Amino acid sequence: MNLREQYPVYLRDFIGVLCLALVSLAAGLLINRFRSSPLPIVYRSPEQRFDAELTTLIVAPPFKIAPAATVGLAECRSAVENKSTLILDARPSALFEQGHVPGAFNLARDDFAHDYRRLDSVLKAAQNKPIIVYCGGGNCHDSRLVANALLTLGFGDVSVFTGGWEVWSASSLPASTGNGQ
Amino acid sequence: MTARSNWCGDYTAVALSLGLAAVFLYAGFDKIRDPLQFADSIAAFAILPAAFISPLALSLPPFEVACGLLLLWPSTRRVGALAVALISVVFFTALLSALLRGLTLDCGCFGVGAPSRSRMWLELGLNVVLFGASVFIFLSSLAQSASRAR
Repeated sequence: MNLREQYPVYLRDFIGVLCLALVSLAAGLLINRFRSSPLPIVYRSPEQRFDAELTTLIVAPPFKIAPAATVGLAECRSAVENKSTLILDARPSALFEQGHVPGAFNLARDDFAHDYRRLDSVLKAAQNKPIIVYCGGGNCHDSRLVANALLTLGFGDVSVFTGGWEVWSASSLPASTGNGQ
Repeated sequence: MTARSNWCGDYTAVALSLGLAAVFLYAGFDKIRDPLQFADSIAAFAILPAAFISPLALSLPPFEVACGLLLLWPSTRRVGALAVALISVVFFTALLSALLRGLTLDCGCFGVGAPSRSRMWLELGLNVVLFGASVFIFLSSLAQSASRAR
């Protein structure tokens, strides 16, 4: 059979893939309908979801404030060693458990309101202490979102460690695992 | 000699089908568990408008699972292989575009991970392997059905 003779076979296979895509869309929508927390059909960015979560913690809607200051690896390392600063990890809990800066607490961007309430006593004790927030590094915005939210919630000295976990782990510095500190 | 190479080709196609099926079943089921995380991964590519992100995040995992299942049976293997080849081209194009635009992201291909450019290059290479394997399976299945038709 040459290519011309196989043309109907190719066409049938392409139609099969198209049907597969349509059935998958229907299956995906059906599965989503029965989820405990379904994915909204109109996607909302992490920033939009974060603003919505923040409004559950404060009465007024989130307002725009000056962005948090940034710190480098040396300052972050010194703060960790001195134990003078509250270190917060803004990554999802799964990544936090795989490895994090020693002494850090997990205040995940994607579960901010829940984690904020869970860390209530820790955060209250650190109201007047410096706070450093980090996330994965690279282009991640989670640390900036969490830091700005903390400033909005009344914390005065909040900085972002821009290098994040990527730079910390690449520098062979100590790390902790698990969901504790 | 021809019979022997056909025999080798058939067994290679079966082995590759099983391997590809395992990869796609794992990837599909993993994404079904957390569609929000996968939607965020799709959004990070900054290619699709917001209206298309959720439908894609919901339909792609069942599509991958279906591809894996189709690859397991000889009668449906060819359609499964074609679907994998097409989806590999889509993944490859999206990843290459993100890399060329200087983005560092977690593609969400195999569960949640830290954004990393080295991992993106690795996944780009993996897509080339997936594409090659699926084309081999497709052509092998086509040759089998042609020889049956003679």
